[in-house]
Amino acid sequence: MEPSLASYLALSGILFTIGAVGVIYKRNAIGMFMCIELMLNSVNLTFVAFSRYYADTTGQLFVFMVMAVAACEAAVGLGIIIAFFRNRISVDVDDASLLKN
Amino acid sequence: MNTFFLTELVTPDPNVRIILPELVVAAAGIIVMLYDSFFPKDRVTSGIISLVGLAVSAFLLVGLWSSEPLGSTSWNGMIAHDNLRLGFSIVFLIVTAMTVLISTVWVEREDVPVGEYNALLLFATFGMMLMASGNDLVVIFLGLETLSIATYVMAGLRRGDLKSNESAMKYFILGSFASAFLLYGMALIYGATGSTNLTVIAEKVVNPNFPALLLIGGAMMVVGFGFKVAAAPFHVWTPDVYEGAPAPVTGFMAAGPKAAAFASFIRVFVLGFPFIAGVAASNYLHETWMTVLAVMAMLSMTVGNVAAIMQNNVKRMLAYSSIAHAGYALVGFLGAGAANRGSSQDAAIASVAFYMLTYAVTNLGAFAVISLLAQKNDRRSDFEDFNGIGFKSPVLSFTLSLFMLSLLGLPLTAGFMGKILVFRPALEAGSTLLVVLVIVAVINTAISAYYYLRMIVVMFFKERVTEWVEPKMPIGLAVALLVAVVGVLYLGLFAGGVIEKFSQSRSGYEAQLK
Repeated sequence: MEPSLASYLALSGILFTIGAVGVIYKRNAIGMFMCIELMLNSVNLTFVAFSRYYADTTGQLFVFMVMAVAACEAAVGLGIIIAFFRNRISVDVDDASLLKN
Repeated sequence: MNTFFLTELVTPDPNVRIILPELVVAAAGIIVMLYDSFFPKDRVTSGIISLVGLAVSAFLLVGLWSSEPLGSTSWNGMIAHDNLRLGFSIVFLIVTAMTVLISTVWVEREDVPVGEYNALLLFATFGMMLMASGNDLVVIFLGLETLSIATYVMAGLRRGDLKSNESAMKYFILGSFASAFLLYGMALIYGATGSTNLTVIAEKVVNPNFPALLLIGGAMMVVGFGFKVAAAPFHVWTPDVYEGAPAPVTGFMAAGPKAAAFASFIRVFVLGFPFIAGVAASNYLHETWMTVLAVMAMLSMTVGNVAAIMQNNVKRMLAYSSIAHAGYALVGFLGAGAANRGSSQDAAIASVAFYMLTYAVTNLGAFAVISLLAQKNDRRSDFEDFNGIGFKSPVLSFTLSLFMLSLLGLPLTAGFMGKILVFRPALEAGSTLLVVLVIVAVINTAISAYYYLRMIVVMFFKERVTEWVEPKMPIGLAVALLVAVVGVLYLGLFAGGVIEKFSQSRSGYEAQLK
């Protein structure tokens, strides 16, 4: 039997939550970034599930766009994290404390 | 099941004329990037190419204003051509042109790779214009990411400066976090309606029996857009990012991306699903959404203004002030959502576009002065550094005072007209909630007088203890300052023509609203 739409949505909801909680609790910039990728991929799963459900290709098209954007974000984001690491010798976000009230 | 890919094929209807302004900006960005790889030291030409690209795009856009009927679309309905798009796109082009001019000062002082910087600015503008014209969630998402990725890099352009690194990293992580929420919202809305096209979504939403997924999707999108416009309670990133980024980039971020996010926010929430279904489908839901967003607006204004009072750094103060201004613009946004006639909705949308224009001109003017005085790595950007410069460099201090008064909203300045115009549709909508909102906004304007006037007091009435050398003003920055001063006075005195242009005629959505 093919899994139902609801089970895909539940799985993507759980993955999204894991990702969001991870971003909040992780203190390592790379780890946070990986959690964001997890969130994006759970969104992709949602899109594909709905696309299949409606027999409509728009959702799949959207997934391609999200994947392309995630790749760009990875390129830029890792560059930013490396620039931070060069000056701080750390990727811990708690060290990013120069700008505060 | 295996053949459904083929049945969906449709002939593309590019209608390239409509997106020509966007294409010109993107092409100018590519040309600047290529030119830079051959002549990396030639700062002036790179700037001139950018400005020419922006001017050509503006020229085409103004041409479209009269030649193309409003409501027409391109790429099979993915790009909309209406007042919202035209008004906001003009704002973006002005913002970028002024930023290019203002940047001449720090580009020379700190030896910034100017080709990359100008290309990033143009790509960000391309993204902003897509956000305003995109009539499909895919296009809005792509525009948003094009804009965001370019601004992440610009915030961290001072690679050796710890503050700039930190600003870029915070912006990047929190920005992509918010994008993920926005995207999840889009996925759920696609699931609820079976389409990503906002026109189709609007038709489906009128039916009161829409799935509850739409509400969750809408809430997720509010988080995403709330982050991008820097409205409380999604504002926490703003002060840190704005303080750490280079001053011209901060000015750009406060003016451009905020306006772009408002354009998409209006497109999705007011035109796409009139605050989730609108009064026609469910009065209760409509009221709930209005209340939520009204609370968001009140929080933004109050948090922004109260926190701004306590700041010692001018950039940080302006960051909090930008949060407060997002709150004022949200008043106009709510007015558009509450409008019960098409014409008053159009006027409300135009008022938000006009507000963003006045804020952009004023804020960029203020950042032009701050960039000039800040020196390397913006180390002179505290209030103390402005002590007593009033009569030593009168031109700079009088223009900065004018911008502060306009941000405050003193009559005869642009800020005053902007505030009046966004408050009016909210008052005319005839809802108690919105009247309370406007009262809160007016009280907040009074609170904000404290820190805007403090700037003027510091400049004119404090003794300067350290020596003062007036910085040399590059020609580009002088032009930007002149444009800002003329803009502030012109928009303050003769706003009528501009606002008429922005709300020129009915947008193509009227038919669907009824």
